[in-house]
Amino acid sequence: MEKTKDFRLYLAFIILFAILLPLGNLMGFVSNNTISLWGRYFCFAIAALGVDLIWGYTGILSMCQAFFFCLGGYSVAMHIVMKGATASGTSGSAIPDFMVWNQINALPFFWVPFQSFGLALILGLLIPAAFAFVFGYFIFRSRIKGVYMAIITQALALAMWLLFLRNETMLGGTNGLTDFKSLLGLSLSSPGVKLGLYLFSLAGLCGTYFFSKKLVDSKFGKVLQAIRDSESRTSYTAYRILDYKLAIFIVGALLAAFAGMLYAPQTGIITPGRMDVRASVEMVMWVALGGRGKLKGAILGALVVNFLYSICTSLFPDSWLFILGFLFVITVLYFDKGFLGMIEKIGGGIGKKKNKITEVAEQQVV
Amino acid sequence: MNCTIKMWLGICLCLFIGKRASGQSDSTSIYVGHILYPSSDSARITALQKLVKHGEPSTFPFLAAINEKKIFLLDGQPVTTGSAQQLADGSEVFEIFYLYPKSQAVLNSDGTPKLLPVSSLEKIDISRSDRLSMAPILPYLNLANPDPKKRIIAYGQLLTSSDSSKINVLSGALNLEKDKEALTAGKEILFQLKLEQAKSETVAKAYVDSLDSNWGENVTLILKDYSVSGKLEGAKKYAAGKVTDLESLQGRIQKAQNLFSGISLGSILILIALGLAIVYGLAGIINMAHGEFLMIGAYSTFCVQKLFIDILGIKSDLFFFVSLPVSFIIAGIFGLILERLVIRHLYSRPLESLLATWGVSLIMVQLARSIFGDLTAVKAPSFLAGGYQVMPHLILPYNRLFIIGLTIIVVSLTYLMLYRSRLGIQIRAVTQNRSMSACLGVETRKVDAITFFLGSGLAGLAGCAMTLIGNVVPDMGQTYIVDSFLVVVTGGVGKIAGAILSGLGIGFLTKVLESFYEAVYGKVLILALIVIFLQFKPRGLFPDKGRIAED
Repeated sequence: MEKTKDFRLYLAFIILFAILLPLGNLMGFVSNNTISLWGRYFCFAIAALGVDLIWGYTGILSMCQAFFFCLGGYSVAMHIVMKGATASGTSGSAIPDFMVWNQINALPFFWVPFQSFGLALILGLLIPAAFAFVFGYFIFRSRIKGVYMAIITQALALAMWLLFLRNETMLGGTNGLTDFKSLLGLSLSSPGVKLGLYLFSLAGLCGTYFFSKKLVDSKFGKVLQAIRDSESRTSYTAYRILDYKLAIFIVGALLAAFAGMLYAPQTGIITPGRMDVRASVEMVMWVALGGRGKLKGAILGALVVNFLYSICTSLFPDSWLFILGFLFVITVLYFDKGFLGMIEKIGGGIGKKKNKITEVAEQQVV
Repeated sequence: MNCTIKMWLGICLCLFIGKRASGQSDSTSIYVGHILYPSSDSARITALQKLVKHGEPSTFPFLAAINEKKIFLLDGQPVTTGSAQQLADGSEVFEIFYLYPKSQAVLNSDGTPKLLPVSSLEKIDISRSDRLSMAPILPYLNLANPDPKKRIIAYGQLLTSSDSSKINVLSGALNLEKDKEALTAGKEILFQLKLEQAKSETVAKAYVDSLDSNWGENVTLILKDYSVSGKLEGAKKYAAGKVTDLESLQGRIQKAQNLFSGISLGSILILIALGLAIVYGLAGIINMAHGEFLMIGAYSTFCVQKLFIDILGIKSDLFFFVSLPVSFIIAGIFGLILERLVIRHLYSRPLESLLATWGVSLIMVQLARSIFGDLTAVKAPSFLAGGYQVMPHLILPYNRLFIIGLTIIVVSLTYLMLYRSRLGIQIRAVTQNRSMSACLGVETRKVDAITFFLGSGLAGLAGCAMTLIGNVVPDMGQTYIVDSFLVVVTGGVGKIAGAILSGLGIGFLTKVLESFYEAVYGKVLILALIVIFLQFKPRGLFPDKGRIAED
């Protein structure tokens, strides 16, 4: 029963996004803009999956996911900018424009590896993972959790944001990295490449979804949920909590970085504004609004909220924050399980008793 | 009134300068007449040039008024305007001064200064080219200016003037100087000029010493210059030695200044974190909208100011004293509303409360932005302008001192409230064990509401204080919220002593690290320090003890 329902849902999703939208684009019904917009939403959805794994399944509220997202985005952006500089500049001076404006004549050492695409990809994943490992190790080791964790990660996001804003870090300062021309020899402004990136993001989303699904259904996933429901009891049964938390924290960071890598070439710009505290909290909001503790909820939340954002900012630009704020308060107060929970509630009254039991269990989460 | 005295000083100075040009006053009054009522275009410029050439002191105020384009006619006499005053109906009136032959205030028949709007005076327009012909005498005109800042500039201009008599003029002007700051600046110039002309080593050293003891703004620079490009070898070395001394002294002063600004930043953090800590300890609420109560407090101060100045027409500093309690109460009321509508459904669910209140803060910021616009500022009350001068170059601004004082008072009041009152004992009881206190007849809901009111009110008070040192912007709360949460985390949740200690510590460390590195790196370092600190004390400085602390 459940399986066929899932299957129908996947089918509908695939038909809509993998067949109808691209076909519409090829035939001219759907604009290129819409395509790359949805491509970006898929990236957000991938990051939201990471948030859901960390928060929804393990109960660690991490508020620095946008930072990991940007680490991935910046690494790809750095590669593209480097390539652009090599292509346009004369043979000797392959330095990005903004550095020339800041009177930097030699390429900083940490930019060098990003000349190669492969290395850029590897570093784009390795750096966030290493960062998550070191930071997570110290945080989880001292058993910082719950609210403390949220605040510390928020402070991390703030500090890193401030760091990226500086010109001295040589990552473009407030303006970020922009003026992307081509990736692997393909022009980023051509509609074909845009569609390709869209499809690639979609594939990435599907891939990470099934990976996450496997993960949470495995024994590993069960332990994560046990940690969420009662950390101390899980540790009494001889599970090494630190390892599990660290592992899922790194997985979440990797997912966010992967999403960022797909995001940067599609947007054409990456700035520190993407990684401020608010961006991170918004990622948590997507998951909370979609329905946390459910992978489908995370995807739904990311897609719906961003879609709403695009609509609202063009229709009534001033009121988006009101809408988001109200949505958020209302969801937290009345719809614990987000959109998905709402749909299920409306969808059927079957298994009411079962629901009640899980509710009691989840109240102990926090 | 001060203005009048300065004018008189100006006249005395002019007399001093003008010894070389006596006995010409008859012809000067003719020239003044020519300037005011020129028979032809060329007559005015000729007369002006003559006056400039004579350089007669009694004409300086007159010429200065021409130069500043503030020359008018009143009953056929040349006058200029002094400081402006605002009337109740919003129009501006000015004090009026006669310029020639004597510079003095225009008085009413009863002896009070006459106040007139500019429109009732007849303005004399003197063309730019005419005014330019006064260039040779300009540096001297401002030496008699009633405004000390203008005089400082005038002293500075003497430095580059090629007039050989400038040292005499300057020392004469300094004899009459009463303003402390201007005197220091003027003396610096004087000593510098004399040092450059010094012929023997002993004289030069004496002037280096005088520069040192005078301790003006640019003394290090001057001595450094001299130690490189001076003419006398011995004096050059002496000056270099003085420079190192001065630099180390300035380093120490800088440290003291950092210490002070660290304490003042810390006290703001304490004001914000106090409410946060109490509320979190009591009800397990992480209030992300707490920073917005700060913003509300600041905007209430702004509104009170508007009310006083624009509507009631009271232009004293009274508004600030009124706005202190008003901002407390308004922020508290908003807090109560928030508690009623949102927070009471979220007790002891910190993560959910964090997210919901984040949503609330978005709404509040946007609301403030649509009501007040992007940037407003509160005019700081005049009694808090300036600062307390501990020693030259070490000035503690009154507004920061006020904030520190306010924090001390508020913290002591909070302490008394928590530990010496009936409400306090109830709050502490509910914090310790909610259900047990409820069983013993404490109305926990009421205690929650009151505590939330107080906590938000404290943030509002902090916002009111913040208007003294910064602009009022819609997202001003968000700049401080993460910092103040860090204060709560390091202090230990729900502990006043912890909040105070860690607030001071974080504020202090931030400023100290900022002085070593850039502000941003300071912030990163602080975070690293806090993470390291939490390795050893995961529950803050003052953790809860006992089994209840574990979850």
